[in-house]
Amino acid sequence: MTTLTDVKPSDFDSYWHDVLAELARFPVAPEVQDLPLRSTDFATAYGVRLTSLGPYRLYGYLSIPTGDGPFPARYHLPRYGSVTDLVPQGQANGQRRDHVTFAICVRGQRLADQPYAAAFPGQLTDGIDDPATYVYRGIVADCVRGLQYLAARPEVDATRIAAIGNDLALTTAALCPQVTHLVTTPTLLYATAELAPRTSAYPLEEINDYLRSHPTRRDAVQNTLSHFDLRWFGSRVSAATLLMAGADGAALDAAALQPLIDDIRGETTVHKAEHSGYRDGRYAEEWLAERFGMAEPSLPPHWQD
Amino acid sequence: MPRTPADQYVSKVRKPEDIDRFWDDVLAETAQIPLEPEVVYDPLRSTALIDVYEVFFTSLDHVRIAGWYAVPRQREGPLPGLIQVPGYNMEPPVPKNWAARGYAAFSVAPRGKLRSNRQFNPGYPGLLTYGMVDRNTYSYRGFYMDACRAVDFLLGREEVNGERIGVTGHSQGGGLTVSTAALRPEIKAAAAGAPYLCGYMDSIELTDAYPYQEIADYLRLYPDSRQQVEDTLAYFDGINLAHRITCPIIISVGLQDSTCPPETGFATFDAIASDDKKMYAYDGHGHDANNHEHAAVVDAFMAAHLKD
Repeated sequence: MTTLTDVKPSDFDSYWHDVLAELARFPVAPEVQDLPLRSTDFATAYGVRLTSLGPYRLYGYLSIPTGDGPFPARYHLPRYGSVTDLVPQGQANGQRRDHVTFAICVRGQRLADQPYAAAFPGQLTDGIDDPATYVYRGIVADCVRGLQYLAARPEVDATRIAAIGNDLALTTAALCPQVTHLVTTPTLLYATAELAPRTSAYPLEEINDYLRSHPTRRDAVQNTLSHFDLRWFGSRVSAATLLMAGADGAALDAAALQPLIDDIRGETTVHKAEHSGYRDGRYAEEWLAERFGMAEPSLPPHWQD
Repeated sequence: MPRTPADQYVSKVRKPEDIDRFWDDVLAETAQIPLEPEVVYDPLRSTALIDVYEVFFTSLDHVRIAGWYAVPRQREGPLPGLIQVPGYNMEPPVPKNWAARGYAAFSVAPRGKLRSNRQFNPGYPGLLTYGMVDRNTYSYRGFYMDACRAVDFLLGREEVNGERIGVTGHSQGGGLTVSTAALRPEIKAAAAGAPYLCGYMDSIELTDAYPYQEIADYLRLYPDSRQQVEDTLAYFDGINLAHRITCPIIISVGLQDSTCPPETGFATFDAIASDDKKMYAYDGHGHDANNHEHAAVVDAFMAAHLKD
């Protein structure tokens, strides 16, 4: 049986065209503040406020290496939750020696929670009855805005800009041609309406909770989610891509993700999860270092041989 | 220079002579404060099988603390209680998965977490170093008590068997598992994954990753505070609290964990007083500490100690 989410919405392209056009009407208006507490002898940290759709003020952690650039850039997209770290937990802080890093706090997250403070659980279904009101419309735009800011920094090497994260890394790469490299782990926005009923684990359980309370809104929810489904973003991705798939048999294993993999236009490497933050994380670091032409990957001490 | 194998590492943490008196005083101060629990049914998160409640109670400094409470609808007799304690930068989950396995499950949001941050909100990063120059102002003084008060909440529930309460968590949740088991003798089983808050000062030499990097950041900016910081953190270090743990406990670590170095997990394990303790050290794993497979070990451990 074909469901609403099996087919690309007829207005998918115009929807995202309109979002980007609306975003472009808001000046970035960056405010950059030194963060001495997070600065080191090898990198200077800044807090950046900038405007996104709404208008809505966002926050980001920017780190610039000491010395002459330009430098390759890592754009860290947030996971689902209230906290964005300057460098994702567990990764080497040493990556700031030779990369510009930028981590964005999207609307609803801490430091970007005025006036909208998201609830967790809760954000995944906020405004989900309509693509025009779904909170992820703004969140995806926030991620685009952050990338636009990063790519315009004079310290950044425009030939080496990586978007790194879960679903939002892929949507950002799809909507921003400035992204040259992509490390993505599809998590929540791939075939969401089909996969949610197969789990009771949060965050997808939020969808189940919502539909249990509002069963008559199922079609509307499916329609909204289809506008954010990674399957329809794949053909827009031209970046060299590392796609982190689930282990065989997982809901989002390589077989399940094959339609997306087939659509990505950039050189694509698929890594099957080994259920090890060390092995999976090291693989991603080595992949990126090789593509960026770095002498060594950025590995924390316990990941080194 | 190659690293010392994790299980042979010698911690530099020193135990304050008055650490037990310090914590007994904090516990006594906390006990003076009425719990004032508020339990609100949440129809949105409840299912045909599980009732979910949003809970609020009062903790040290009269800070109002939130939590999620999940219980199976079908039950016979009192249920074992299970406290789930959260990681550093995660939101406490709704513990429906534990309720589905027959526990009265309580997932606490210590101060600073969403829903518990109206009176105290140092942020992330920030929590780890807030008030760190004095043991009486350090953020984790109240944070540890918030986890401990989860025990009081469960003890006050008529559907809970107060003789069968366990605690579990991963990362910061692992550290809180250690501290809660150490400070609350009512805990009858504890399962700590990749424990954080153990070997604070060791960790800033063993890894450059956040969150421990917050301490290194702080000492770089305020080098003159180093002794005060070391003195404070010694009172909160899981290695120094472990001698108070007498219940059955299991600890898991990943030998390639860059977030919570495995060396500190071993040091904590060695200091635990309980005879019934077991270490699961997973080679080839990082901060996940092989949770994909180890979750079944935790399930079986809790069932053996809280259900049988």
